[in-house]
Amino acid sequence: MPRSRKSLSVLIALLLVVVAILSACSKSGSSPASENSSAAPADSASSSESSGGEGPGEPITLRMTVWGAPEEVAAYKSAIAKFEAKYPNITVKLQHIPTDYDTKLTTMVAGNDEPDIAQMESASIAFPLAEQGKFYNLQDFLSADSEITADRLVPNITYSLEPGNVIGLGPGPETFVLYYNEDIFKDAGMAPPPARASEAWTWEEFVEAAKKLTIDNKGRNASDPGFDPKNIKQYGVNFGTWWGNYSNFVYSNGGDFLSEDGKTFALNQPAAVEALQKIADLINVHHVAPSPVQAKNIPATNVALQTKKVAMVVDGQWASAGLAQSKVHYNVGALPVMKQPMTTVVSGMFSMFKSTKHPQEAWELMKALLDPEAAIDLLTAGTWMPAYRDWYTEPALIAKWTENLPSRPSGYKDAVIDVLLNNSHQTPTGYVKNFNKIMDIVNPALDKVWLGQQTAQEALDAIAAKAQAQVQGRRDVNP
Amino acid sequence: MKETAFLRKNAVVLGGKLRDRRLSMRKGLFYGLLFTSPAILGFILFTLGPMVASLALSLTDYNVFKDHTSFVGFDHYVNLFSGEDDLFYPSLGVTFYFVVLRVPAVILLSFAIALLLNLNVRGRAVFRTIIYLPSIVPAVASAMIWLWLLNPDLGLVNAALRWLHLPTSNWLFSEGSVIPSVVLTTLWGIGGTVIIFLAGLSGIPMQYYEAIEVDGGGWYRKLRHITIPMVTPTIFFNTIMTIIGSFQVFNEAYILTQGGPNNKSLFYVFYLWRTGFRDTEMGYASALAWVLFVIILFFTFIVFRTSKTWVHYEGGERA
Amino acid sequence: MRQSKFAITAGYAALLSISALFIIPFVWLLRSSLMDLSQIFTMPPEWIPKPFHWDNFHRALTILPFGTFFTNTLIIVAGVLVGTVATSSIAAFGFSRIRWKGRDAVFGILMSSMMLPAAVTLIPSFLGWKMLGFYDTYYPLIVPAYFGGGVFNIFLLRQFYFTIPRDFDEAAFVDGATYFQIYLRVILPLSRSVLIVVALFSFLGSWNDFMGPLIYVKSDSLFTLALGLQMFQGTYTAQWDLLMAASAAVVLPCVVVFLIGQRYFLEGITLTGLKG
Repeated sequence: MPRSRKSLSVLIALLLVVVAILSACSKSGSSPASENSSAAPADSASSSESSGGEGPGEPITLRMTVWGAPEEVAAYKSAIAKFEAKYPNITVKLQHIPTDYDTKLTTMVAGNDEPDIAQMESASIAFPLAEQGKFYNLQDFLSADSEITADRLVPNITYSLEPGNVIGLGPGPETFVLYYNEDIFKDAGMAPPPARASEAWTWEEFVEAAKKLTIDNKGRNASDPGFDPKNIKQYGVNFGTWWGNYSNFVYSNGGDFLSEDGKTFALNQPAAVEALQKIADLINVHHVAPSPVQAKNIPATNVALQTKKVAMVVDGQWASAGLAQSKVHYNVGALPVMKQPMTTVVSGMFSMFKSTKHPQEAWELMKALLDPEAAIDLLTAGTWMPAYRDWYTEPALIAKWTENLPSRPSGYKDAVIDVLLNNSHQTPTGYVKNFNKIMDIVNPALDKVWLGQQTAQEALDAIAAKAQAQVQGRRDVNP
Repeated sequence: MKETAFLRKNAVVLGGKLRDRRLSMRKGLFYGLLFTSPAILGFILFTLGPMVASLALSLTDYNVFKDHTSFVGFDHYVNLFSGEDDLFYPSLGVTFYFVVLRVPAVILLSFAIALLLNLNVRGRAVFRTIIYLPSIVPAVASAMIWLWLLNPDLGLVNAALRWLHLPTSNWLFSEGSVIPSVVLTTLWGIGGTVIIFLAGLSGIPMQYYEAIEVDGGGWYRKLRHITIPMVTPTIFFNTIMTIIGSFQVFNEAYILTQGGPNNKSLFYVFYLWRTGFRDTEMGYASALAWVLFVIILFFTFIVFRTSKTWVHYEGGERA
Repeated sequence: MRQSKFAITAGYAALLSISALFIIPFVWLLRSSLMDLSQIFTMPPEWIPKPFHWDNFHRALTILPFGTFFTNTLIIVAGVLVGTVATSSIAAFGFSRIRWKGRDAVFGILMSSMMLPAAVTLIPSFLGWKMLGFYDTYYPLIVPAYFGGGVFNIFLLRQFYFTIPRDFDEAAFVDGATYFQIYLRVILPLSRSVLIVVALFSFLGSWNDFMGPLIYVKSDSLFTLALGLQMFQGTYTAQWDLLMAASAAVVLPCVVVFLIGQRYFLEGITLTGLKG
């Protein structure tokens, strides 16, 4: 024993030496980095000077990180090719991060290797980065630009750290819709969900339809007295229980995640509780929806629709891309309405790192990517919706992305256009500060609601104090 | 064959044990360090630095995106153990439950399968490959299969149970069954453990079994008196590695359950990752990591300690 | 060893039923790789593609530069394999066949590197490699293999070296052999089966690793197959047909390597002189 103790102490001494060396190294390593950052402003000043004129300036390289499937990346690449043709002195390096985007970007930031422009997600590290002042305020660029203004963009795709400080612009907004299998409705002799928001089903009409379309293995539907909820062959509706889905109905019912002043946790308030309870009742009271599946990326929703496991699905419009490729007679209706028609708008965004040496050129690139014409392949495939308002109002432009496409069935146009322009709500991730930490408390409580163990009121009241402790306000309200 | 017998006899005749020990101890330190130097150097160069850095960071409020990092002393640790962080103990509990269920299951099952695969039957090459296949199917693909198989309403497993008139389960989607279900999904990936057992079994000299057969002993005696004692070094290895791996379970929560339902699969390392990378509180995550480090170290140490009584090395070594 | 008819039959039955369970994911992967999107997720599941979409493979393998990815992967795998097998067995020898003061303490410290979750050492490691100027190269992925090849492998080999009777090297010692000769002539031949296992694991490990390349590589011309696979998962939805086809194409070489590799630990130690 004494011997091993001695060797241990030698090792500890060795350890300390290594630590000393390492910390010395890291110090010497950090000083060039800080030189770099102090040099950056001077650089950017000179570059913005040079970019004042549109003529061919000195060669510039911009770096941009994105995630996405091959066809999304291909769409970025074609937009970038057009951009490079317009600005021959600029080369854009597109860095595709296929998985664990946040982890990779975090290590890049730690290593002072930020891109000039990054695709960001409002629910993840976009706001933590912005809070540390890593992003440019895009409002300054928007105000100074003659081609594009905030008014030209559709609502709810600008992300702000606080009023007036825009940290990201979403190139491809996404709304939520009610998908349905046309054959099931035809066979049941029922009228399909209306496409226009003004004619949308009330929640009660929706539940009635779902009941008639929920069939047990003896062919009885959920409104029949002998209905057997243990042996269901076809469900009326599939309802993924993540915040994106239920937020539509919380908003539709006049509820919210936070109070208007941003000071109070509001999911346990009557309007929100009622909406959440009604959704849980689909599963546990009416037996018209299967139990929740919280795993990400499971394709069961669309596939279930196609295989007639369910008749209707509440999902984001991006699911169109997958449905268009599968052989199913599907169509799109407006979401059922609790009090007023409403959809949440979610979207990835582009942000500009402050470390960029060429902010003006980076802004031009960002504009080029926002242009629906650049993303036309993603629009026609069904993955995105356009970011410019005139693509929702000019018939010629509307036709470009909504007509004669497998991803855009007959109800699509009516189900998304008016709703996005007039009845849409920003995603909670965009304005609720500390959203993730609040949801870390809310999600487990809601699990109990979806599983039917507690009522929404009980479950949310039980965690209200804990959630309240995480409330830090709203980004769209001046403190 | 002759040669080894000769060598062995030689060693005994010369009574070399004592001489040799002195000899080997004298030169041992030099050669020992020489042979292990690549590994020791590698540890110092590539592993020690980051480990020490994370230990140091656990005493700070390090956040990758923040320009300033300040020393907070043991605040993070106090925060954890005082229960102020109300996810610390639950995630630790969930992880312990997982470890307790999984380690014996993995060891018993993979040992049993290895015994079967060691039978001298036709096509065992194919059987061995099949057992290993799930370990090389990419995690996303196999996660998909599980979600699909275990879906309570639409899944194949419940459909089969219903058909057999057996009770169904909500599997990954209810609080009580989520951990056993995750254990079940990980059992598909025991191919590596099985292979190591196979390598251990292949090292057992045939004549030992033949000796028992001469005495008229059956399979049980072979298993009890030859196979098990002879593979204890392998059992030991697999147990240690399964313990270390199970405490650090991450992928299943990351891909399958996101910690739900109701935090009942909030595995410790998933919580740690979420804190470090999603919430960008890397200093706090480092403190979490070092607590787990000590826990794993403790259990590994215990198993190492007990190994003296049950691990049998033909070389006469005591680990 | 003699085996009774009954044992063989029972063993067969058990092997067949276990194999049936274990082959499900692979069959599922294969059949999905030959289906179109609409058939992959049908309920109840279908096992035979109708029709066979062989073009999935063509599409999956042409949509990304898989040739480049394949070459890159081979470079890394070969580099890691050689380094791991060479240095892990040398280190394991030093930790088992040589007695020296502090040996087990040093080994314990090496073991501890497996006990700290990698999430918290990721950024320090990355910063270290970047400081050395090796960001966007394969050095961070390959070089560590030449320094012990991972504690897992050392530990595994050490356990097996312990089981080799000590008389062997003592006898060789008496004949004047050096440690290195003992390692080369006595220990290595006796541990062939477990060395194959180490080689197999290090092959499969670096073949399937995507986190390493993701963090240390930024140019997509340096991407590997495992990283390429990840590309098929889109923002919101994955292209399951292509993902499955590409996965199958990436997994198949592993299956072949395994089928060949496992032959060698079938034979195992019976090759050596222990029988006499």
